[in-house]
Amino acid sequence: MGVVQGDQMVLNIGPQHPSTHGVLRLKVATDGEIVSDIVPVIGYLHRCFEKHCENSTYEQVIPFTDRCDYIASMNNNFGYVVAMEDLMEIKVPERVEYIRVIMAELNRIASHLLALGVYGLDVGAFTPFLYMFRDRERILDIFELTCGARLLYNYMWVGGVSHDLPVGFVETVYNFLDYFEPKVQEYNDILTYNKIFIERTADVGVLLPEVAISFGVSGPNLRGSGVKWDIRKEEPYSIYERFDFDVPIGQGLVGTTGDCWDRFHVRMLEMIESTKIIRQALKDIPTNGDVHQALPKKIRPPKGSIYRRTESPRGDLGYYIISDGSPQPYRLKMRSPAFTALSVLNEISRGWMLSDVIAVLGSLDIVLGEIDR
Amino acid sequence: MIKYLTTIWETVSTMLTGMGVTWRHMLAIRRDNVTLQYPEERWPRPERDIGFDHNKYNVIRSRLHVDIDDCIGCLKCERACPVDCIKIDTVKVPNRGEDIPNIRHKGITSFGTRKAMVVTRFDIDMTECCYCNLCVYPCPEECIYMTGGPNAEKHDIDYEFSEYDRNDLIYRFAKKVSGEDLENATTKPQGVEG
Repeated sequence: MGVVQGDQMVLNIGPQHPSTHGVLRLKVATDGEIVSDIVPVIGYLHRCFEKHCENSTYEQVIPFTDRCDYIASMNNNFGYVVAMEDLMEIKVPERVEYIRVIMAELNRIASHLLALGVYGLDVGAFTPFLYMFRDRERILDIFELTCGARLLYNYMWVGGVSHDLPVGFVETVYNFLDYFEPKVQEYNDILTYNKIFIERTADVGVLLPEVAISFGVSGPNLRGSGVKWDIRKEEPYSIYERFDFDVPIGQGLVGTTGDCWDRFHVRMLEMIESTKIIRQALKDIPTNGDVHQALPKKIRPPKGSIYRRTESPRGDLGYYIISDGSPQPYRLKMRSPAFTALSVLNEISRGWMLSDVIAVLGSLDIVLGEIDR
Repeated sequence: MIKYLTTIWETVSTMLTGMGVTWRHMLAIRRDNVTLQYPEERWPRPERDIGFDHNKYNVIRSRLHVDIDDCIGCLKCERACPVDCIKIDTVKVPNRGEDIPNIRHKGITSFGTRKAMVVTRFDIDMTECCYCNLCVYPCPEECIYMTGGPNAEKHDIDYEFSEYDRNDLIYRFAKKVSGEDLENATTKPQGVEG
């Protein structure tokens, strides 16, 4: 008698499934309840971002970058304008730099709140989701106050920002931070250190640092595996070298380093680091200055190419822009952190149960708008 | 066995901690921080003073509006639009800056510019609009804006504009004139007819 080999069953998860975080289809080969292979099928949200950019002027690209990672639009704008300003050698005013950092970090908190809340939802905890969305709403109100939009901002422009800060903005953000910081403890009480949640996520989907690096995973997913790598520290762009903040890494507090719980916890710690950065920026921001001062009359970068990367809430977000001297980019390539995070899914969830795949997928915090572009 | 019991103990104790948080929320809740009864009540949109000329500069981007009497037909907004949702057609006027009453064309804008064009078509397809605000900035006459923008005094913020028919979402701002009237007004020199 040989070994009894059961038939493999192929199961489709998605594309319309609430826990696939968008329109993602997973072709899961299962043996009983054990997953033996996962093939992510992407492209349901493909909007030809890169080809569109070749046919639009440099200003018109910014609304398109909003729509890639629609949870963290400010950070997408940020990466693009940083690349464009380096290509055109524009020096932006101090006040603009501070505004951008404040906005990017607020957006990072908002994005992490969504990631953590929805992750709770994925593994069966509903209440934290409501609490986190309530607090995310406050950040969106701040954005609405500043630039008039709640999700797709088109706020950062090449050489400046679209609107100056409203009167009373600094107090509003201070109020928010005072409100928000104690809430993190609440989230920890209700979700992070809950034993049921720990049992569900600790030791599950362990992403080893070597695997993470070889797949090109970046951002909180990489830091959850214990690799201290943050573009804001390693290659400071804008004015990040002026701020004092830590890079939290996963230490395997309740399980193995690099498991789902570590990735979750790193995001929780990063929100606290972001509040630190915002507090320092609010303290130092110049009180006046024209935010439109460095806006170029016409955006016509010289011939050449540039690659700049920034730290978006999902990781290493890169823009590669080739200019042929015309008002439209010759080629624009976006390096998306969520794409590499998804590619590692098969590697780390093979051998786990089907319900753990959902937990692993949620902990990677992918945004399909950015994967498909 | 000990591990089993500690797991149970930890589960119960952390669950009680979490439930303590929800209890505190339940007790601290006030009447005014629960669900907003949307169609009856509306969330106040942020109003702000940013120190510009406009007393009440309201940045909220809701629907696009054009003051067509001020439009000079320069096509700058059409070119700025990333999704090409603005369509403009123009016809040259015979005498620059003169009113043409029979097609209700005003010759001079409120900024004092003498118009060289009659705008015969100014369509904005709001189903395509991506609310990026890029068309608003290049306008030399400040006549295209998002309501609730710099001209909050003229228009209330209006974010409820669903329609039963998709075609009703194409906003046609240009004045309706018959082709004959237009031809008469634009080809014949003024004052010679009759």
